[in-house]
Amino acid sequence: MELTIGDVAKRFGAVEALRGVSLTVNSGEFYAILGPSGAGKTTLLRIIAGIEKPDSGHILIGGRDLSDIPVRARNTAMVFQTFALYPHLSTFENLAYPLREARVPRDEIKRRVGEIAEMLRLTHTLARKPGTLSGGEQQRCAIGRALIRRPQLLLLDEPLTNLDAKLRHDTRAEFKRLHRELKTTTIVYATPDQLEALSMGARVGVLKHGRIVQVGTPADLYTGPGDDFVASLVGDPPINLVTGTLREGNGGQSIDLPFLGLDAAPWRKALTGFPAGTKLKVGLRPQGIWPRGSSETGPGFPAKVFLTEPLGDVTILDIVAGGDTRLRMVLPQEQAYKIAVDDPIECAVDLQQICLFAQDTGTAIHRSGAEAAA
Amino acid sequence: MSQREVRSIGTAGWGRTLTAAIISLIYFFPVLFIILTAFKSRQDALAWPVKFIFTPTVTNFVSVFYRTTVEGGEAEATGFGLYFFNSLFIGGSSVLLALIIGTSAAYAFSRFPLKGNETYLFMILTTRMMPPIVAIIPIFVLFRIFGLSGTYVGIIALYTAFNLPFSVWMVKSFFDDLDRDIEDAARMDGSSEWKVFRKICLPQVYAGLAATFVFAIILTWNEFVFALLLTGTQTRTVPVQIVRTIGGSMGVDWGLMSALETLFIIPVVLVTFALQNQLLRGVTFGTIRR
Repeated sequence: MELTIGDVAKRFGAVEALRGVSLTVNSGEFYAILGPSGAGKTTLLRIIAGIEKPDSGHILIGGRDLSDIPVRARNTAMVFQTFALYPHLSTFENLAYPLREARVPRDEIKRRVGEIAEMLRLTHTLARKPGTLSGGEQQRCAIGRALIRRPQLLLLDEPLTNLDAKLRHDTRAEFKRLHRELKTTTIVYATPDQLEALSMGARVGVLKHGRIVQVGTPADLYTGPGDDFVASLVGDPPINLVTGTLREGNGGQSIDLPFLGLDAAPWRKALTGFPAGTKLKVGLRPQGIWPRGSSETGPGFPAKVFLTEPLGDVTILDIVAGGDTRLRMVLPQEQAYKIAVDDPIECAVDLQQICLFAQDTGTAIHRSGAEAAA
Repeated sequence: MSQREVRSIGTAGWGRTLTAAIISLIYFFPVLFIILTAFKSRQDALAWPVKFIFTPTVTNFVSVFYRTTVEGGEAEATGFGLYFFNSLFIGGSSVLLALIIGTSAAYAFSRFPLKGNETYLFMILTTRMMPPIVAIIPIFVLFRIFGLSGTYVGIIALYTAFNLPFSVWMVKSFFDDLDRDIEDAARMDGSSEWKVFRKICLPQVYAGLAATFVFAIILTWNEFVFALLLTGTQTRTVPVQIVRTIGGSMGVDWGLMSALETLFIIPVVLVTFALQNQLLRGVTFGTIRR
């Protein structure tokens, strides 16, 4: 079922949780809502679910306005961040609860609980109360309870937050598999974790202070962030944001960074009219900074290694360049193993991976089409 | 987590177990002394030094039900059976009523706050801020006017009213501690508001209800002043009867008193034991992170 949210606003006392959110989720789509805590993700989901009433705006599911339909009649299911299992009921009864409320016949309940328990590997826990289940089992039970009614719309509110790292990884894959099997179920997945949003969402809507600031595919968000907020939210380790100054030279515009001068030619069109001396935010992906002399080349600068974080396959280097500018870069292990703290390092940047933002508003300054393609 | 293991000597250690046993014995000693006295003959009860080894007798217990009240007279039924029933009936029904009304009120205060919710809650609390005895004259007059003196309805209504503030406040705190997401989950699963209360919220506070029940029943069971003034011969409760027994024409019969008291504490002990697991969870509710 297609979900349309039109200009939804909600305030709690002095706090504006949502300030006019509009978005459309296609039928059967896996849509991720990415935003830091406090951005309004949970409020948005609760409004879609009908638990919370919006102050203004409308929600359409499958073209139908749901404002006056009570929560219990919406055929929408939700997995809560806290799982919200019924603590006094066994796993079986937790899974059976929505069916009992829908007056499904006894033997069909038994059959469907059996099926879903099988699918989610919960069969051995059916007689136990939620308090005795492991975190992963509790989470699968919560998902099972949401899926058992075959809802047309499934809302997931940070369902992985309460799990340990290994389980999170497995469950991400599990969600994708589930989504493929369910086919027609539309999923809205709220998370503060860019990794979850990018890895699972077909599209991602970025929520900031109660507003959707950008909607796009994971690749769109990574390569073409609409502003510095999205840029710093997406990508791991986070993008380096450095303040640069626009210079007017005889060969055209250039951008002065504390440690490097960049040719501004790729942004020429967008920068027309910006006077010399304008401050700009320059975003450099950690993946777009290399040691000079490796196969790729670009404008280079000297730096000093500040600290290293070896992660096994790659190492994250914190380097200091141009006096006191801290930058992060990512190196494959085979290039990083001989680098020690305080070593000098010659770096080069990948011009293709540089983003520009206005200093005050943070809005992206786009490359001119022709140069971007080149 | 909600599983609670029963602690045995193994986990508590011998030192702690011994300390606990000694402290319990010190606290339990007066009760033990009463129970022992109940089984003593008149001579043994008054003997000095105190006898701990003696030939037990049930005479005192028989006397509770049948005894002579005037020297040389015939043994008569004392009506203790009725008074015991009265205590059970009046205490039980008033506490149950207070719990039912209190739980409904507590849920409403917790989940559907009114404008001025805190004020109403405070007003309920103020009824417990003065000693109940202060209200005795108006209550006495009211009972007279409405013909409630000496009736079950009167004393049950009064005890219910006294137990209500406590029930509302205590049960409300249990409802406040519940995870609201669970209720929202039930709503999404298709539950009406009534079912959310009945099938989701209520079962989660059973332990709390049990704890409230025990506290209230103990208070009511022991209540003396109002029972003395407002019950009649047919509705008299055990505490009143115990006092009437002290002032007999034959001096204080310690054995008889002790037998009365021994019988009197049995129901409370039984209730507390029956609900002890619930009680433990109830009094620690909210103090343990779940």
